[in-house]
Amino acid sequence: MKKLFAVTLGILTAFGGFVDIGDLVANSLVGARFGMSLAWVVVVGVIGICLFAEMSGRIAAVSGRPVFDLVRERMGPRAGLVNLGASFFINVLTLAAEIGGASLALELATGINYLLWVPGVALVAWLVMWRVKFETMERVFGLAGLALVAFAVALWQLGPDWHELGRQLTQPPADEGAPTYWYYAIALLGGAMTPYEVFFFSSGGVEEKWTRKDLVTSRANVFIGFPLGGFLSLAIAGCAAVVFFPVKAEVDTLGQMLLPAGIGLGQLGLAAVIFGVFAATFGATLETALSSGYTISQYFGWQWGKLVRPRDAARFHAVVLAGVIVATALILTTIDPIMVTEYSLIFSAAALPLTYLPVLMIANDPDYMGDQVNGRFSNTLGTTYMILLLVVAAAAVPLMIATKAGQ
Amino acid sequence: MRVSSCVAPILAVLLLSGCTSPAWDDHDYGLKAAQSAESAASSLEIVRLAVRHEDRLTTSYLKTLFTEAVKDLGGVNSQFGGVQPPSPSADEVRGRLLDLTGEAEDQVTSLLIQVRRDGIEDPEAAVKDLEGVAAKLRAFEEAHQ
Repeated sequence: MKKLFAVTLGILTAFGGFVDIGDLVANSLVGARFGMSLAWVVVVGVIGICLFAEMSGRIAAVSGRPVFDLVRERMGPRAGLVNLGASFFINVLTLAAEIGGASLALELATGINYLLWVPGVALVAWLVMWRVKFETMERVFGLAGLALVAFAVALWQLGPDWHELGRQLTQPPADEGAPTYWYYAIALLGGAMTPYEVFFFSSGGVEEKWTRKDLVTSRANVFIGFPLGGFLSLAIAGCAAVVFFPVKAEVDTLGQMLLPAGIGLGQLGLAAVIFGVFAATFGATLETALSSGYTISQYFGWQWGKLVRPRDAARFHAVVLAGVIVATALILTTIDPIMVTEYSLIFSAAALPLTYLPVLMIANDPDYMGDQVNGRFSNTLGTTYMILLLVVAAAAVPLMIATKAGQ
Repeated sequence: MRVSSCVAPILAVLLLSGCTSPAWDDHDYGLKAAQSAESAASSLEIVRLAVRHEDRLTTSYLKTLFTEAVKDLGGVNSQFGGVQPPSPSADEVRGRLLDLTGEAEDQVTSLLIQVRRDGIEDPEAAVKDLEGVAAKLRAFEEAHQ
Protein backbone atom coordinates (compact mmCIF):
# COMPACT_ATOMS: atom_id res chain seq x y z
CA MET A 1 0.00 0.00 0.00
CA LYS A 2 2.85 2.33 0.92
CA LYS A 3 4.57 1.46 -2.38
CA LEU A 4 1.39 2.14 -4.35
CA PHE A 5 1.02 5.50 -2.61
CA ALA A 6 4.62 6.42 -3.45
CA VAL A 7 4.13 5.45 -7.11
CA THR A 8 0.86 7.42 -7.35
CA LEU A 9 2.45 10.45 -5.71
CA GLY A 10 5.37 10.22 -8.12
CA ILE A 11 3.01 10.03 -11.10
CA LEU A 12 1.01 13.03 -9.92
CA THR A 13 4.23 14.96 -9.34
CA ALA A 14 5.48 14.16 -12.85
CA PHE A 15 2.03 15.06 -14.24
CA GLY A 16 1.84 18.41 -12.45
CA GLY A 17 5.50 19.21 -13.05
CA PHE A 18 5.51 18.47 -16.79
CA VAL A 19 4.21 21.82 -18.02
CA ASP A 20 6.55 24.79 -17.70
CA ILE A 21 6.65 28.24 -19.28
CA GLY A 22 7.97 26.77 -22.54
CA ASP A 23 5.07 24.32 -22.91
CA LEU A 24 2.56 26.98 -21.91
CA VAL A 25 3.86 29.58 -24.37
CA ALA A 26 4.47 27.19 -27.27
CA ASN A 27 1.09 25.46 -27.00
CA SER A 28 -0.87 28.70 -26.62
CA LEU A 29 0.92 30.37 -29.54
CA VAL A 30 0.48 27.35 -31.76
CA GLY A 31 -3.17 26.73 -30.80
CA ALA A 32 -4.07 30.36 -31.54
CA ARG A 33 -2.26 30.45 -34.85
CA PHE A 34 -2.48 26.91 -36.23
CA GLY A 35 -5.47 25.42 -34.40
CA MET A 36 -4.79 21.78 -33.53
CA SER A 37 -2.77 21.11 -36.69
CA LEU A 38 0.49 20.79 -34.71
CA ALA A 39 -0.93 18.50 -31.99
CA TRP A 40 1.04 15.63 -33.54
CA VAL A 41 4.28 17.36 -32.50
CA VAL A 42 3.22 17.19 -28.84
CA VAL A 43 2.67 13.45 -29.26
CA VAL A 44 6.10 13.04 -30.91
CA GLY A 45 7.69 15.16 -28.15
CA VAL A 46 6.03 13.23 -25.33
CA ILE A 47 7.11 9.87 -26.78
CA GLY A 48 10.65 11.28 -27.14
CA ILE A 49 10.89 12.62 -23.59
CA CYS A 50 9.43 9.36 -22.23
CA LEU A 51 11.99 7.34 -24.18
CA PHE A 52 15.03 9.34 -23.06
CA ALA A 53 13.84 10.09 -19.52
CA GLU A 54 13.30 6.36 -18.98
CA MET A 55 16.84 5.72 -20.20
CA SER A 56 18.34 8.41 -17.95
CA GLY A 57 16.31 7.16 -14.95
CA ARG A 58 17.54 3.63 -15.66
CA ILE A 59 21.13 4.87 -15.94
CA ALA A 60 20.80 6.62 -12.56
CA ALA A 61 19.19 3.60 -10.90
CA VAL A 62 21.67 1.04 -12.26
CA SER A 63 24.94 2.98 -12.11
CA GLY A 64 24.07 5.28 -9.20
CA ARG A 65 25.52 8.11 -11.30
CA PRO A 66 23.70 10.90 -13.14
CA VAL A 67 23.91 11.41 -16.89
CA PHE A 68 26.37 14.29 -16.99
CA ASP A 69 28.82 12.45 -14.77
CA LEU A 70 28.99 9.75 -17.43
CA VAL A 71 28.98 12.10 -20.43
CA ARG A 72 32.51 13.30 -19.74
CA GLU A 73 33.74 9.79 -18.98
CA ARG A 74 32.12 8.26 -22.08
CA MET A 75 32.65 11.10 -24.60
CA GLY A 76 35.89 12.63 -23.35
CA PRO A 77 36.54 16.05 -21.78
CA ARG A 78 36.41 18.12 -25.01
CA ALA A 79 33.11 16.79 -26.37
CA GLY A 80 31.79 16.91 -22.82
CA LEU A 81 32.80 20.56 -22.51
CA VAL A 82 30.96 21.52 -25.73
CA ASN A 83 27.92 19.68 -24.37
CA LEU A 84 28.30 21.41 -21.02
CA GLY A 85 28.61 24.89 -22.59
CA ALA A 86 25.49 24.47 -24.74
CA SER A 87 23.47 22.90 -21.91
CA PHE A 88 24.46 25.58 -19.40
CA PHE A 89 23.63 28.43 -21.81
CA ILE A 90 20.18 26.97 -22.54
CA ASN A 91 19.60 26.21 -18.85
CA VAL A 92 20.26 29.82 -17.84
CA LEU A 93 18.07 31.12 -20.69
CA THR A 94 15.28 28.75 -19.60
CA LEU A 95 15.82 29.75 -15.95
CA ALA A 96 15.36 33.42 -16.91
CA ALA A 97 12.16 32.53 -18.75
CA GLU A 98 10.82 30.57 -15.73
CA ILE A 99 11.59 33.41 -13.27
CA GLY A 100 9.86 35.79 -15.70
CA GLY A 101 6.88 33.43 -15.98
CA ALA A 102 6.44 33.13 -12.20
CA SER A 103 6.67 36.93 -11.89
CA LEU A 104 4.12 37.43 -14.69
CA ALA A 105 1.73 35.06 -12.88
CA LEU A 106 2.09 37.21 -9.75
CA GLU A 107 1.39 40.32 -11.83
CA LEU A 108 -1.82 38.74 -13.14
CA ALA A 109 -2.88 37.90 -9.58
CA THR A 110 -2.08 41.27 -8.06
CA GLY A 111 -1.91 43.85 -10.85
CA ILE A 112 1.59 44.84 -9.68
CA ASN A 113 4.19 45.02 -12.47
CA TYR A 114 6.12 41.77 -12.89
CA LEU A 115 9.51 43.49 -12.72
CA LEU A 116 8.85 44.30 -9.06
CA TRP A 117 8.27 40.59 -8.40
CA VAL A 118 11.39 39.33 -10.18
CA PRO A 119 13.95 39.87 -7.35
CA GLY A 120 11.52 38.40 -4.79
CA VAL A 121 10.84 35.30 -6.90
CA ALA A 122 14.58 34.77 -7.40
CA LEU A 123 15.34 35.23 -3.70
CA VAL A 124 12.58 32.88 -2.52
CA ALA A 125 13.64 30.30 -5.13
CA TRP A 126 17.22 30.44 -3.85
CA LEU A 127 16.05 30.12 -0.22
CA VAL A 128 13.89 27.11 -1.13
CA MET A 129 16.85 25.47 -2.89
CA TRP A 130 19.05 26.23 0.10
CA ARG A 131 16.71 25.14 2.90
CA VAL A 132 13.97 22.79 1.66
CA LYS A 133 14.49 19.05 1.24
CA PHE A 134 14.71 17.79 -2.33
CA GLU A 135 11.72 15.47 -2.08
CA THR A 136 9.51 18.08 -0.39
CA MET A 137 10.44 20.70 -2.96
CA GLU A 138 9.74 18.40 -5.89
CA ARG A 139 6.43 17.12 -4.50
CA VAL A 140 4.97 20.46 -3.35
CA PHE A 141 5.46 22.29 -6.64
CA GLY A 142 4.71 19.25 -8.81
CA LEU A 143 1.40 18.69 -7.02
CA ALA A 144 0.54 22.42 -7.01
CA GLY A 145 1.09 22.41 -10.78
CA LEU A 146 -1.89 20.05 -11.01
CA ALA A 147 -4.04 23.20 -10.78
CA LEU A 148 -3.32 23.54 -14.50
CA VAL A 149 -5.85 20.74 -15.01
CA ALA A 150 -8.23 23.72 -15.00
CA PHE A 151 -7.21 24.19 -18.67
CA ALA A 152 -8.71 20.79 -19.52
CA VAL A 153 -11.91 21.62 -17.59
CA ALA A 154 -12.04 25.04 -19.28
CA LEU A 155 -11.76 23.39 -22.70
CA TRP A 156 -14.72 21.20 -21.82
CA GLN A 157 -16.70 24.17 -20.49
CA LEU A 158 -16.00 26.24 -23.59
CA GLY A 159 -18.14 23.70 -25.44
CA PRO A 160 -15.92 23.33 -28.49
CA ASP A 161 -16.95 21.91 -31.82
CA TRP A 162 -15.03 18.64 -31.39
CA HIS A 163 -15.56 17.76 -35.03
CA GLU A 164 -13.89 21.04 -36.06
CA LEU A 165 -10.98 20.44 -33.65
CA GLY A 166 -10.61 16.95 -35.14
CA ARG A 167 -10.60 18.39 -38.66
CA GLN A 168 -7.83 20.83 -37.70
CA LEU A 169 -5.58 17.91 -36.69
CA THR A 170 -4.86 17.14 -40.34
CA GLN A 171 -5.42 20.53 -41.98
CA PRO A 172 -3.01 23.38 -41.24
CA PRO A 173 -4.41 26.86 -42.00
CA ALA A 174 -4.00 27.71 -45.68
CA ASP A 175 -2.72 31.25 -45.04
CA GLU A 176 0.35 30.12 -43.05
CA GLY A 177 3.56 29.36 -44.95
CA ALA A 178 5.44 26.07 -44.58
CA PRO A 179 8.55 27.66 -42.98
CA THR A 180 6.44 29.21 -40.20
CA TYR A 181 4.58 25.94 -39.65
CA TRP A 182 7.85 24.03 -39.27
CA TYR A 183 9.40 26.77 -37.11
CA TYR A 184 6.58 26.39 -34.60
CA ALA A 185 6.73 22.60 -34.86
CA ILE A 186 10.38 22.84 -33.76
CA ALA A 187 9.49 25.24 -30.92
CA LEU A 188 6.83 22.78 -29.68
CA LEU A 189 9.29 19.89 -29.80
CA GLY A 190 11.85 22.03 -27.94
CA GLY A 191 9.19 22.71 -25.28
CA ALA A 192 8.24 19.05 -24.86
CA MET A 193 11.83 17.74 -24.79
CA THR A 194 13.58 20.56 -22.87
CA PRO A 195 17.08 19.28 -21.96
CA TYR A 196 16.96 20.31 -18.30
CA GLU A 197 14.16 17.78 -17.71
CA VAL A 198 16.59 14.91 -18.32
CA PHE A 199 19.41 16.39 -16.22
CA PHE A 200 17.00 17.02 -13.38
CA PHE A 201 15.30 13.64 -13.66
CA SER A 202 18.55 11.64 -13.58
CA SER A 203 20.20 13.82 -10.92
CA GLY A 204 16.99 13.64 -8.89
CA GLY A 205 17.15 9.84 -9.13
CA VAL A 206 20.63 9.92 -7.61
CA GLU A 207 19.52 12.43 -4.95
CA GLU A 208 16.69 10.09 -3.99
CA LYS A 209 19.14 7.15 -3.99
CA TRP A 210 17.34 5.13 -6.65
CA THR A 211 18.41 1.52 -7.04
CA ARG A 212 17.23 -1.23 -9.39
CA LYS A 213 14.23 -1.69 -7.05
CA ASP A 214 13.09 1.83 -7.95
CA LEU A 215 12.94 1.16 -11.69
CA VAL A 216 9.19 0.50 -11.44
CA THR A 217 8.61 3.88 -9.77
CA SER A 218 10.83 5.63 -12.30
CA ARG A 219 9.03 4.01 -15.24
CA ALA A 220 5.59 4.74 -13.77
CA ASN A 221 6.54 8.42 -13.39
CA VAL A 222 7.75 8.55 -16.97
CA PHE A 223 5.20 6.41 -18.79
CA ILE A 224 2.10 7.63 -16.94
CA GLY A 225 3.04 11.05 -15.52
CA PHE A 226 4.62 12.53 -18.64
CA PRO A 227 1.84 11.52 -21.08
CA LEU A 228 -0.70 13.02 -18.66
CA GLY A 229 1.44 16.19 -18.74
CA GLY A 230 1.32 15.99 -22.54
CA PHE A 231 -2.47 15.81 -22.30
CA LEU A 232 -2.37 19.12 -20.37
CA SER A 233 -0.25 20.64 -23.15
CA LEU A 234 -2.88 19.58 -25.68
CA ALA A 235 -5.63 21.06 -23.48
CA ILE A 236 -3.76 24.41 -23.44
CA ALA A 237 -3.45 24.31 -27.24
CA GLY A 238 -7.12 23.27 -27.49
CA CYS A 239 -8.26 26.25 -25.39
CA ALA A 240 -6.31 28.64 -27.63
CA ALA A 241 -7.64 26.89 -30.76
CA VAL A 242 -11.24 27.33 -29.57
CA VAL A 243 -11.03 30.94 -28.36
CA PHE A 244 -8.37 32.66 -30.50
CA PHE A 245 -8.02 30.71 -33.75
CA PRO A 246 -11.52 31.49 -35.14
CA VAL A 247 -11.02 35.27 -34.67
CA LYS A 248 -7.39 35.21 -35.91
CA ALA A 249 -6.06 36.59 -32.63
CA GLU A 250 -2.41 35.78 -32.01
CA VAL A 251 -1.27 35.64 -28.40
CA ASP A 252 2.02 37.08 -27.23
CA THR A 253 1.60 37.65 -23.50
CA LEU A 254 0.95 35.33 -20.57
CA GLY A 255 -2.22 37.27 -19.71
CA GLN A 256 -3.67 36.58 -23.13
CA MET A 257 -2.75 32.89 -22.88
CA LEU A 258 -4.87 32.48 -19.72
CA LEU A 259 -7.96 34.23 -21.11
CA PRO A 260 -9.67 31.00 -22.29
CA ALA A 261 -9.57 29.65 -18.73
CA GLY A 262 -11.32 32.78 -17.46
CA ILE A 263 -13.92 32.67 -20.22
CA GLY A 264 -14.58 28.97 -19.65
CA LEU A 265 -14.50 28.80 -15.86
CA GLY A 266 -14.95 32.33 -14.52
CA GLN A 267 -12.95 34.01 -11.77
CA LEU A 268 -12.32 30.86 -9.72
CA GLY A 269 -11.01 28.99 -12.74
CA LEU A 270 -8.84 31.94 -13.68
CA ALA A 271 -7.45 32.05 -10.14
CA ALA A 272 -6.73 28.30 -10.28
CA VAL A 273 -4.91 28.65 -13.58
CA ILE A 274 -2.85 31.63 -12.38
CA PHE A 275 -1.92 29.62 -9.28
CA GLY A 276 -1.05 26.64 -11.47
CA VAL A 277 1.12 28.75 -13.75
CA PHE A 278 2.94 30.19 -10.74
CA ALA A 279 3.49 26.73 -9.23
CA ALA A 280 4.62 25.24 -12.56
CA THR A 281 7.03 28.07 -13.41
CA PHE A 282 8.36 28.40 -9.85
CA GLY A 283 8.89 24.63 -9.72
CA ALA A 284 10.68 24.79 -13.08
CA THR A 285 12.77 27.70 -11.76
CA LEU A 286 14.06 25.37 -9.05
CA GLU A 287 14.63 22.55 -11.52
CA THR A 288 16.54 24.66 -14.06
CA ALA A 289 18.63 26.40 -11.40
CA LEU A 290 19.56 23.08 -9.81
CA SER A 291 20.23 21.59 -13.25
CA SER A 292 22.79 24.35 -13.87
CA GLY A 293 24.57 23.33 -10.67
CA TYR A 294 24.23 19.62 -11.43
CA THR A 295 25.72 19.78 -14.94
CA ILE A 296 28.76 21.90 -14.03
CA SER A 297 29.49 20.05 -10.77
CA GLN A 298 29.10 16.65 -12.39
CA TYR A 299 31.38 17.59 -15.29
CA PHE A 300 34.15 18.88 -13.01
CA GLY A 301 33.69 16.11 -10.47
CA TRP A 302 32.71 18.40 -7.59
CA GLN A 303 30.59 17.37 -4.66
CA TRP A 304 26.97 18.16 -5.58
CA GLY A 305 23.36 17.76 -4.53
CA LYS A 306 20.92 18.75 -1.86
CA LEU A 307 21.55 15.68 0.26
CA VAL A 308 25.05 16.95 0.94
CA ARG A 309 25.45 19.77 3.47
CA PRO A 310 25.88 23.13 1.65
CA ARG A 311 29.31 23.54 3.27
CA ASP A 312 30.43 20.29 1.64
CA ALA A 313 29.00 21.22 -1.76
CA ALA A 314 29.96 24.90 -1.75
CA ARG A 315 30.89 25.06 -5.44
CA PHE A 316 27.60 23.42 -6.46
CA HIS A 317 25.61 25.97 -4.45
CA ALA A 318 27.79 28.81 -5.79
CA VAL A 319 26.99 27.78 -9.39
CA VAL A 320 23.26 27.58 -8.58
CA LEU A 321 23.37 31.04 -7.01
CA ALA A 322 25.38 32.48 -9.92
CA GLY A 323 22.86 31.00 -12.40
CA VAL A 324 19.95 32.58 -10.49
CA ILE A 325 21.72 35.97 -10.40
CA VAL A 326 22.54 35.97 -14.13
CA ALA A 327 19.00 34.87 -15.09
CA THR A 328 17.45 37.49 -12.79
CA ALA A 329 19.68 40.20 -14.25
CA LEU A 330 18.62 39.16 -17.76
CA ILE A 331 14.92 39.50 -16.93
CA LEU A 332 15.51 42.80 -15.09
CA THR A 333 16.87 44.32 -18.31
CA THR A 334 13.09 44.49 -19.15
CA ILE A 335 13.52 42.02 -22.01
CA ASP A 336 10.15 40.36 -22.68
CA PRO A 337 10.06 37.03 -20.75
CA ILE A 338 7.82 35.48 -23.41
CA MET A 339 10.37 36.37 -26.09
CA VAL A 340 13.13 34.84 -23.93
CA THR A 341 10.97 31.72 -23.70
CA GLU A 342 10.52 31.56 -27.47
CA TYR A 343 14.27 31.85 -28.07
CA SER A 344 15.06 29.32 -25.33
CA LEU A 345 12.72 26.82 -27.05
CA ILE A 346 14.50 27.18 -30.38
CA PHE A 347 17.99 26.99 -28.87
CA SER A 348 16.85 23.98 -26.82
CA ALA A 349 15.69 22.32 -30.03
CA ALA A 350 19.03 23.10 -31.69
CA ALA A 351 20.88 21.44 -28.81
CA LEU A 352 18.65 18.37 -28.43
CA PRO A 353 21.13 15.90 -30.00
CA LEU A 354 23.88 17.08 -27.63
CA THR A 355 21.69 16.13 -24.68
CA TYR A 356 20.15 12.94 -25.93
CA LEU A 357 22.96 11.28 -27.91
CA PRO A 358 25.07 10.60 -24.77
CA VAL A 359 21.98 9.23 -22.99
CA LEU A 360 21.38 6.81 -25.86
CA MET A 361 25.06 5.79 -25.99
CA ILE A 362 25.35 5.17 -22.25
CA ALA A 363 22.02 3.33 -22.00
CA ASN A 364 23.29 1.08 -24.80
CA ASP A 365 26.65 0.35 -23.16
CA PRO A 366 26.68 -3.00 -21.31
CA ASP A 367 29.77 -1.93 -19.30
CA TYR A 368 27.62 0.66 -17.51
CA MET A 369 24.21 -0.95 -17.72
CA GLY A 370 24.83 -4.70 -17.34
CA ASP A 371 21.58 -6.59 -17.85
CA GLN A 372 19.61 -3.30 -17.95
CA VAL A 373 21.13 -2.27 -21.29
CA ASN A 374 18.76 -1.01 -24.01
CA GLY A 375 16.72 -3.63 -25.81
CA ARG A 376 16.25 -3.71 -29.57
CA PHE A 377 13.01 -1.70 -29.41
CA SER A 378 14.56 1.12 -27.32
CA ASN A 379 17.59 1.26 -29.60
CA THR A 380 15.55 1.37 -32.81
CA LEU A 381 13.25 4.05 -31.45
CA GLY A 382 16.19 5.95 -29.92
CA THR A 383 18.11 5.90 -33.20
CA THR A 384 15.04 7.06 -35.12
CA TYR A 385 14.66 9.94 -32.67
CA MET A 386 18.34 10.83 -32.98
CA ILE A 387 17.93 11.18 -36.77
CA LEU A 388 14.85 13.34 -36.20
CA LEU A 389 16.64 15.47 -33.59
CA LEU A 390 19.62 16.00 -35.90
CA VAL A 391 17.29 17.27 -38.65
CA VAL A 392 15.53 19.51 -36.11
CA ALA A 393 18.86 20.83 -34.79
CA ALA A 394 20.08 21.65 -38.30
CA ALA A 395 16.83 23.41 -39.25
CA ALA A 396 16.11 25.33 -36.02
CA VAL A 397 18.29 28.44 -36.37
CA PRO A 398 17.97 28.82 -40.19
CA LEU A 399 14.16 28.68 -39.81
CA MET A 400 14.32 31.24 -37.01
CA ILE A 401 16.18 33.64 -39.32
CA ALA A 402 14.03 32.87 -42.38
CA THR A 403 10.74 33.43 -40.53
CA LYS A 404 12.02 36.30 -38.34
CA ALA A 405 11.31 34.16 -35.30
CA GLY A 406 7.93 33.00 -36.55
CA GLN A 407 6.47 36.35 -37.63
CA MET B 1 36.86 27.85 -30.56
CA ARG B 2 36.89 31.05 -28.49
CA VAL B 3 33.77 31.91 -26.51
CA SER B 4 33.38 35.26 -28.30
CA SER B 5 33.24 33.53 -31.69
CA CYS B 6 30.32 31.39 -30.44
CA VAL B 7 28.42 34.22 -28.81
CA ALA B 8 28.71 36.73 -31.68
CA PRO B 9 26.62 34.75 -34.21
CA ILE B 10 23.95 34.04 -31.57
CA LEU B 11 23.68 37.75 -30.71
CA ALA B 12 23.59 38.65 -34.41
CA VAL B 13 20.74 36.19 -35.00
CA LEU B 14 18.79 37.55 -32.03
CA LEU B 15 19.26 41.15 -33.15
CA LEU B 16 18.42 40.44 -36.80
CA SER B 17 15.27 38.48 -35.99
CA GLY B 18 13.96 41.31 -33.81
CA CYS B 19 14.61 44.16 -36.26
CA THR B 20 12.15 46.01 -38.49
CA SER B 21 13.70 46.28 -41.93
CA PRO B 22 13.16 49.37 -44.15
CA ALA B 23 10.56 49.38 -46.95
CA TRP B 24 12.19 49.08 -50.39
CA ASP B 25 9.15 50.13 -52.49
CA ASP B 26 5.41 50.77 -52.28
CA HIS B 27 4.57 47.06 -52.42
CA ASP B 28 6.95 46.27 -49.57
CA TYR B 29 5.57 49.22 -47.59
CA GLY B 30 2.01 47.93 -48.18
CA LEU B 31 3.00 44.49 -46.88
CA LYS B 32 4.46 46.02 -43.74
CA ALA B 33 1.27 48.07 -43.31
CA ALA B 34 -0.84 44.89 -43.68
CA GLN B 35 1.28 43.09 -41.10
CA SER B 36 0.90 46.00 -38.65
CA ALA B 37 -2.88 46.09 -39.24
CA GLU B 38 -3.06 42.34 -38.58
CA SER B 39 -1.13 42.73 -35.35
CA ALA B 40 -3.34 45.61 -34.15
CA ALA B 41 -6.54 43.73 -35.10
CA SER B 42 -5.29 40.71 -33.16
CA SER B 43 -4.75 42.81 -30.00
CA LEU B 44 -8.20 44.36 -30.39
CA GLU B 45 -9.88 40.95 -30.79
CA ILE B 46 -8.38 39.79 -27.51
CA VAL B 47 -9.54 42.96 -25.72
CA ARG B 48 -12.99 42.47 -27.27
CA LEU B 49 -13.15 38.88 -25.95
CA ALA B 50 -12.13 40.08 -22.49
CA VAL B 51 -14.72 42.90 -22.47
CA ARG B 52 -17.46 40.52 -23.62
CA HIS B 53 -16.66 38.21 -20.67
CA GLU B 54 -15.57 40.91 -18.21
CA ASP B 55 -17.94 39.62 -15.51
CA ARG B 56 -15.98 36.33 -15.50
CA LEU B 57 -12.57 37.97 -15.09
CA THR B 58 -10.88 39.66 -12.13
CA THR B 59 -10.09 43.38 -12.09
CA SER B 60 -6.34 42.89 -11.64
CA TYR B 61 -6.33 40.46 -14.58
CA LEU B 62 -8.24 42.92 -16.80
CA LYS B 63 -5.88 45.74 -15.79
CA THR B 64 -2.84 43.69 -16.78
CA LEU B 65 -4.45 42.48 -20.02
CA PHE B 66 -5.46 45.98 -21.13
CA THR B 67 -2.12 47.49 -20.11
CA GLU B 68 -0.39 44.91 -22.32
CA ALA B 69 -2.80 45.66 -25.18
CA VAL B 70 -2.13 49.41 -24.93
CA LYS B 71 1.59 48.65 -24.97
CA ASP B 72 1.20 46.35 -27.99
CA LEU B 73 -0.84 48.90 -29.94
CA GLY B 74 1.60 51.67 -29.03
CA GLY B 75 4.41 49.40 -30.24
CA VAL B 76 2.64 48.81 -33.57
CA ASN B 77 2.16 52.58 -33.97
CA SER B 78 5.75 53.48 -33.19
CA GLN B 79 7.28 50.60 -35.17
CA PHE B 80 5.26 51.20 -38.33
CA GLY B 81 5.41 54.96 -37.87
CA GLY B 82 9.19 54.66 -37.85
CA VAL B 83 9.32 53.07 -41.32
CA GLN B 84 10.09 55.67 -43.99
CA PRO B 85 7.28 55.78 -46.64
CA PRO B 86 9.02 55.37 -50.02
CA SER B 87 6.61 57.61 -52.08
CA PRO B 88 3.76 60.15 -51.72
CA SER B 89 1.18 57.39 -52.34
CA ALA B 90 2.69 55.48 -49.40
CA ASP B 91 2.03 58.59 -47.26
CA GLU B 92 -1.69 57.99 -47.71
CA VAL B 93 -1.37 54.34 -46.63
CA ARG B 94 0.62 55.47 -43.62
CA GLY B 95 -1.96 58.09 -42.63
CA ARG B 96 -4.92 55.68 -42.90
CA LEU B 97 -3.27 52.95 -40.89
CA LEU B 98 -1.95 55.22 -38.16
CA ASP B 99 -5.44 56.76 -37.82
CA LEU B 100 -6.90 53.28 -37.29
CA THR B 101 -4.23 52.05 -34.88
CA GLY B 102 -4.43 55.37 -33.00
CA GLU B 103 -8.21 54.93 -32.68
CA ALA B 104 -7.67 51.38 -31.43
CA GLU B 105 -5.12 52.55 -28.86
CA ASP B 106 -7.49 55.30 -27.66
CA GLN B 107 -10.35 52.82 -27.22
CA VAL B 108 -8.28 50.38 -25.19
CA THR B 109 -6.73 53.19 -23.11
CA SER B 110 -10.24 54.42 -22.32
CA LEU B 111 -11.26 50.91 -21.23
CA LEU B 112 -8.15 50.65 -19.06
CA ILE B 113 -9.07 53.92 -17.31
CA GLN B 114 -12.61 52.61 -16.71
CA VAL B 115 -11.34 49.32 -15.29
CA ARG B 116 -9.02 51.18 -12.93
CA ARG B 117 -12.01 53.21 -11.67
CA ASP B 118 -15.30 51.34 -11.24
CA GLY B 119 -15.24 48.83 -14.06
CA ILE B 120 -16.34 49.00 -17.71
CA GLU B 121 -19.31 51.37 -17.98
CA ASP B 122 -21.06 49.90 -21.01
CA PRO B 123 -19.50 46.58 -22.04
CA GLU B 124 -21.93 45.98 -24.94
CA ALA B 125 -21.18 49.34 -26.55
CA ALA B 126 -17.46 48.81 -26.00
CA VAL B 127 -17.62 45.41 -27.71
CA LYS B 128 -19.39 47.01 -30.71
CA ASP B 129 -16.82 49.81 -30.95
CA LEU B 130 -13.92 47.36 -30.76
CA GLU B 131 -15.56 45.14 -33.40
CA GLY B 132 -15.91 48.15 -35.70
CA VAL B 133 -12.24 49.15 -35.55
CA ALA B 134 -11.07 45.52 -35.74
CA ALA B 135 -13.19 45.02 -38.90
CA LYS B 136 -11.67 48.15 -40.48
CA LEU B 137 -8.17 46.91 -39.64
CA ARG B 138 -8.94 43.49 -41.16
CA ALA B 139 -10.29 45.17 -44.33
CA PHE B 140 -7.14 47.31 -44.51
CA GLU B 141 -4.99 44.20 -44.08
CA GLU B 142 -6.76 42.37 -46.91
CA ALA B 143 -6.53 45.36 -49.23
CA HIS B 144 -2.75 45.58 -48.82
CA GLN B 145 -1.74 41.92 -48.90
